[in-house]
Amino acid sequence: MYKIRHKKPKTFSYDLVVIGSGAGSSAAHIVAKTGKRVAIVEQGTFGGECPNFGCVPTKALLQAAETYETVKNATDFGIHSSSIRYDYSAIRDWKSQAVLNTGSEEGPASYKEDGIDVFRGHAHFLSPWMIAVGEKRLSAKRFLIATGTKNATPPIPGLKEAGFITYKEAIDLGSPPKRIFIVGGGAIGCEFAQLFNTFGSKVQIAELTPRLLVKEDHEVGELLQAIFESRGIEVHAGAHVTNVASDESGKVVTFVENGKQHQTTVDEVMLATGKIPCTDLGLENAGVKYDRHAITVDQHMQTSAPHIYAAGDVTGKYMFTHVATYQSKLAANNMFNRLKWAADYRAVPRCIFVSPECASVGPSEEELRAAGIKFQTAAVPISLIGRSNVTQQDTGFVKVIASKHGRLLAASVVAPHAGEVIHELTLAIQTRQKASAVEWTIHAFPTWSEAVRLACSKIKCR
Amino acid sequence: MMKHIVKRRGHDEPYDEKKLYASIFSACQVVREPVGSAELIAQKVVDNINNWLTPKHTITSNDIRREAVKHLRTYNPDAAYMYLHHRVVW
Repeated sequence: MYKIRHKKPKTFSYDLVVIGSGAGSSAAHIVAKTGKRVAIVEQGTFGGECPNFGCVPTKALLQAAETYETVKNATDFGIHSSSIRYDYSAIRDWKSQAVLNTGSEEGPASYKEDGIDVFRGHAHFLSPWMIAVGEKRLSAKRFLIATGTKNATPPIPGLKEAGFITYKEAIDLGSPPKRIFIVGGGAIGCEFAQLFNTFGSKVQIAELTPRLLVKEDHEVGELLQAIFESRGIEVHAGAHVTNVASDESGKVVTFVENGKQHQTTVDEVMLATGKIPCTDLGLENAGVKYDRHAITVDQHMQTSAPHIYAAGDVTGKYMFTHVATYQSKLAANNMFNRLKWAADYRAVPRCIFVSPECASVGPSEEELRAAGIKFQTAAVPISLIGRSNVTQQDTGFVKVIASKHGRLLAASVVAPHAGEVIHELTLAIQTRQKASAVEWTIHAFPTWSEAVRLACSKIKCR
Repeated sequence: MMKHIVKRRGHDEPYDEKKLYASIFSACQVVREPVGSAELIAQKVVDNINNWLTPKHTITSNDIRREAVKHLRTYNPDAAYMYLHHRVVW
């Protein structure tokens, strides 16, 4: 390929151009508030994936599902209701309202308030200092790429012809499918399995690896599988989908599990098989290195082109909204300051909003073992604590991993409100606390967090 | 919407589908691809690029070259090599 030498322009139309209004939004506002000239480019929906198609709508739907289930099981507490039913179109309206409440639709107005110019369209680098957006060309001293990801479609024969949905379509279904086959047992697959199961769908979930939630400690995935199976969800762990076909009875999914071929007919096939970065931006013209998994960035969020930064899912590191926001803030600082902040991913909390919630922080046991770090673990079932008794919820545990001296390294919580409980351990890990510090912190009775204290008390501190 | 190509020397010119077709066809011919097959391959590559160009307005000639090579490689790797290096080879 020919090498083109680009001359750096003497003047720029902007100090910063942000490509993507999801993760890029924070950086755009921060930099604009310092008086710099900032523009933001968005091709799709303002706010990006999280408020429009990801976290917000799915959690709103899961909240409705949880409420429905709580009401159904209320007789255990002496509360009776003669007719419990749901109206899925009203649930969908609630979800849409939750999305609306995020304010992402008012995106352009909020940018303009901060003096940020907004451009709609596809951004494409023409040189390291210039992008084309439609007919317009924008030059800038710095760029922030925050274009996020798109769905990865596995090469399953017949899948495209038979048709499938992803989380984007799944949040907008008119009614829960009667029979659904979910390909992928990660966080998205598990959350939708739980959602549709609660509303009466016959759910099957297939995961290529030997267990659900393979990135988490094995206890988490194994317990979730047991919970799913007790709810009537068919879990096919270690299953490989080989074909999808369509006939008059529905979609016929063929998969191999434990060496045996199985076939099942469903109404809908949902893909939850991961994501790939949106990198069709002419990055070669800008000298930005990337591969099919991510744009390469250093600890300061800087790409191989020193004036171009990247943040969010497109960097391939922990595809969470909270990490994207963190990276965006780091990039905003590092782009214009000599004193640069380095990214620190030691304590990134991860939550899966099934019932009970699963939350983790820090590396998994397997990752620690691979890194050659010696560690000790302790776990307690939540059935031991008072809160379990008064809520009739006894499925779950708290597991902590600590160094041989007792310094906390990682934790997993499967319990109601685990997404809240995990933050105590996140802070402890971030601030390099020993388990004894948590053990000797007074925890209110009766709370789920007592299980954290109990687990930490089992760690030997030296 | 007319697409624009930024050339190596920095000037713009409109995207010309026929020019792209001709260059891919020539690369196929150089590696002795039969005429009918060369036409088919050139048309497929052009279709792929037109599809890729849909959301874009302005791109560089290098982008077109890179994208054409990516698709041409799947049909005829030798032709893709010739297409990529023809300025060097000739």
